[in-house]
Amino acid sequence: MRSPFAYTPRPGPLQRASPGAAVVYLGALVAVAFLYSNPIVLSAVGIAVVLAGRLAGAWSAVRAALWMGLTLALLIVVVNALVVSRGTTVWARLGDWPIFGQVDVTAEAVAAGAVLGLRAAVVMVAFAVYSSCVDPDRVLRALRPLAGRSALTATLVSRLVPVAAADAARLRDAARLRGPGAAPVGKAPLARRLLAGSLDRAVDVAATLELRGYSLRPERPPAGETFFGPMRTEKRFTSPVQRRSRYDQRFYLTGAIVLVVAIAGKALGADSFSEYPTTEIGSGAATLAVAVIVALSGLAPLRRAPRRSAARASRAASRSLPAGGGM
Amino acid sequence: MQSGGGIHMEARVASALTIEGLTYAYPETTSPALRDVSLTLECGDFALLAGRSACGKSTLLRAACGLVPHFHGGEISGQVEVAGLNAIATGPGELAAVVGYLAQDPETQVVSTTVAAEIELPLGMRGDSTTSRARAVEEVALALAIPHLLDRAVDTLSGGELQRVALAAALVTRPQLVLLDEPTSQLDPVAGDELIWLLRRLNSEWGVTILLAEHRLERCLAAADRVVAMDSGSIAYDGNPRDFLTWAQDADQALETPAARLFSLADIAPLPVGVRDARRTLVSTSAAAGGEPDPLLTACTFSSPTSRRRQPHSPPKKLSEEGIRLTSTTALDAHDLWVELSRNDSPHDVLRGLDLKVNHGERVALMGRNGAGKSTLLRTAAGLTESVRGKVEVPGGIALLTQNPSDFLVRERVGDELPGDEGLAALGIVGLEHAIDADPRDLSGGERQRLALAIALAGRMGADDELPGLVALDEPTRGMDRARKDDLASLIHDLAARGAGLLVATHDVEFAALFAERVVLLGDGVVIADGPTEEVLSGGWYFATEVARVLDLPGVITPEQGAMALREAGEGG
Repeated sequence: MRSPFAYTPRPGPLQRASPGAAVVYLGALVAVAFLYSNPIVLSAVGIAVVLAGRLAGAWSAVRAALWMGLTLALLIVVVNALVVSRGTTVWARLGDWPIFGQVDVTAEAVAAGAVLGLRAAVVMVAFAVYSSCVDPDRVLRALRPLAGRSALTATLVSRLVPVAAADAARLRDAARLRGPGAAPVGKAPLARRLLAGSLDRAVDVAATLELRGYSLRPERPPAGETFFGPMRTEKRFTSPVQRRSRYDQRFYLTGAIVLVVAIAGKALGADSFSEYPTTEIGSGAATLAVAVIVALSGLAPLRRAPRRSAARASRAASRSLPAGGGM
Repeated sequence: MQSGGGIHMEARVASALTIEGLTYAYPETTSPALRDVSLTLECGDFALLAGRSACGKSTLLRAACGLVPHFHGGEISGQVEVAGLNAIATGPGELAAVVGYLAQDPETQVVSTTVAAEIELPLGMRGDSTTSRARAVEEVALALAIPHLLDRAVDTLSGGELQRVALAAALVTRPQLVLLDEPTSQLDPVAGDELIWLLRRLNSEWGVTILLAEHRLERCLAAADRVVAMDSGSIAYDGNPRDFLTWAQDADQALETPAARLFSLADIAPLPVGVRDARRTLVSTSAAAGGEPDPLLTACTFSSPTSRRRQPHSPPKKLSEEGIRLTSTTALDAHDLWVELSRNDSPHDVLRGLDLKVNHGERVALMGRNGAGKSTLLRTAAGLTESVRGKVEVPGGIALLTQNPSDFLVRERVGDELPGDEGLAALGIVGLEHAIDADPRDLSGGERQRLALAIALAGRMGADDELPGLVALDEPTRGMDRARKDDLASLIHDLAARGAGLLVATHDVEFAALFAERVVLLGDGVVIADGPTEEVLSGGWYFATEVARVLDLPGVITPEQGAMALREAGEGG
């Protein structure tokens, strides 16, 4: 079974966009999550990434990340409430605990934990959308000029992880199928067997890489020359892996707008929030404006339906009819 | 431009592969895997590499692509030249431009996330420009009929699709020589036949030289124009396919094809290299003998509904109305069985209201294309997969051996895997008592499979070594030569004679004809045919033995049955 975070090629704008455009867009939202502590803006970032994931068709990834992120957020809230005793609104006095000392649960510590948890959940969802919608091959190819071998090694590792997961599932099945009279298989022998199998797999994959020319030092053919001979029209074909997208501009622009608005909002005090001694959440015009713009940025992956107005359709239909119309 | 083209042509006319006096031993082994091998393949040859398991076929292919000795190490002597390049001095990376290699397991041959990236990888490594990469990917995708797969993630592809993608990645650099190591072993008959004929087309239209190692010779002999047979690391035969069959008759009958065995038993010459050849020979033989074509042989080759109704041999065993023998109790009972699995992020009904019964002592082959639901049925019966509706019962228990027997082997001594009396009893059932102190890794492939079966059986046997009600095997013949298949068929007969019901999922129609008394054909999660082996395996094209395809007579599936039918026709005619 595939991981919900595994990249799935889809025809949506976010999947079609170049890795740079997708990284700028989702990176801008993550940057806002780290720049701001105001829960209204953080919630807006959450809405944006969930919306983006939903529109990009990565709902299973978003759902899984939300489940994990909210679990983590809850854990952060509990830990923060137990560890931090600051704040004026005491909800419960739990007395002396062995490691924590005097434990007072305050509303402010819970709120501060909730903000930290919300940030963690938002960032996880953003990464889930990235993982599910951005082709890792394209990212690694974009990085290859900077660190070619490292990029390929990363590709290899990313390939071996699901293969090892499939091997582990097979070994678990075989362990369940052993007769009751056979020696039981503990976790240690199973792990050892999995490791040995993974090494065998790695050797096979390494052999494949050798055969694909991994050990070659790439040399570009002379300008205008290709393997198929001279090319007169150099720009005639475009690699399917490096294909540019008409959506790139949209994502670059949206990312830039989000970043500019966030920075300007920060300068204008839109990130007004204080945890202690009492929780104060700023909700001024600047904050609300930043939140609205950030939330709306989640619509960027929206795919417009093909435009064909009724008038144009009827004009085309009338042109196709013979003179005089009718039969 | 002209000089470039001239150089290109010059490279194309050199021999695709020249091997002289090649001897090679893997590291830490005493006996060489290749012994004084000499072989030359001219450009445009389509050569089939035949031989039993572990005879050196894979090693020879690895030497031809540079993995031996550069990747595997070891000691080597002799000469290997691929398209004029010294393969012993040059590494596999440099050879990648002139030789493509496709191994048995496509899972380990893909390293990218998407199909397009996978096919483009060798060109990127070579530093080809973006424009030429795009064109090469497009051309090879069109040649292999996979343009619709280019945007797919590789982990969503079926085995057949993955094998085509791996082949595309091997072909994208337009190598002069393509080496294939049992590429059809994991494919169903349809996908396997398609791949072989795709190779034939590439050979004819692109001029690609092909060296193909295969065990199922009947599948590819007709496509090849040359056969190289190996034995114990040496070349035992090198010549055309027809002479190869004559040679195999005397030298190693395990290499005979079913059609050749049919002709040999019926004293018909020359031996046929494929179904079409066999049919033509039958017609011409009959015409030459009597002036007019024998009615049976005409019926064989141009079968009509009337002729197909003829039954020249003893009819198949009678079954009950349900298609099951009435003699024994039920080993497996599946009723209205629905199983849903996730496929490409969406739920998919793999079994759809399946009904099936298997009795004790019955030997049943479970067949169908990849994804038809064979493995899912076995897994559900063994409790590895839950059904969403209906039920499957195995009253006497089940021992299931999955596709990869090595998954069962986790210890370094056979006796440690199977301790105590129950373990010893299980070893006795599969005939491995003598190997109790051996390391499982030192056992042969067939012995490892028997050991894995013993592990599945241990503790599930009753008093007097009574076997569990059902013994199920999932694709047990992958990568097996015919001698090992014969051994496995004997074991299956033995287990059934001891009272177990045997349910074997297999793509191998010849193997099914060897061991099964009943064949259940699955299609898209339901039973589409269920009957005696002779009936099911003689009524189709893909799911039919080679003899059945040659004679096209109801109930005739083995060479022995076919020879009897031909003799009867001769006597009657």
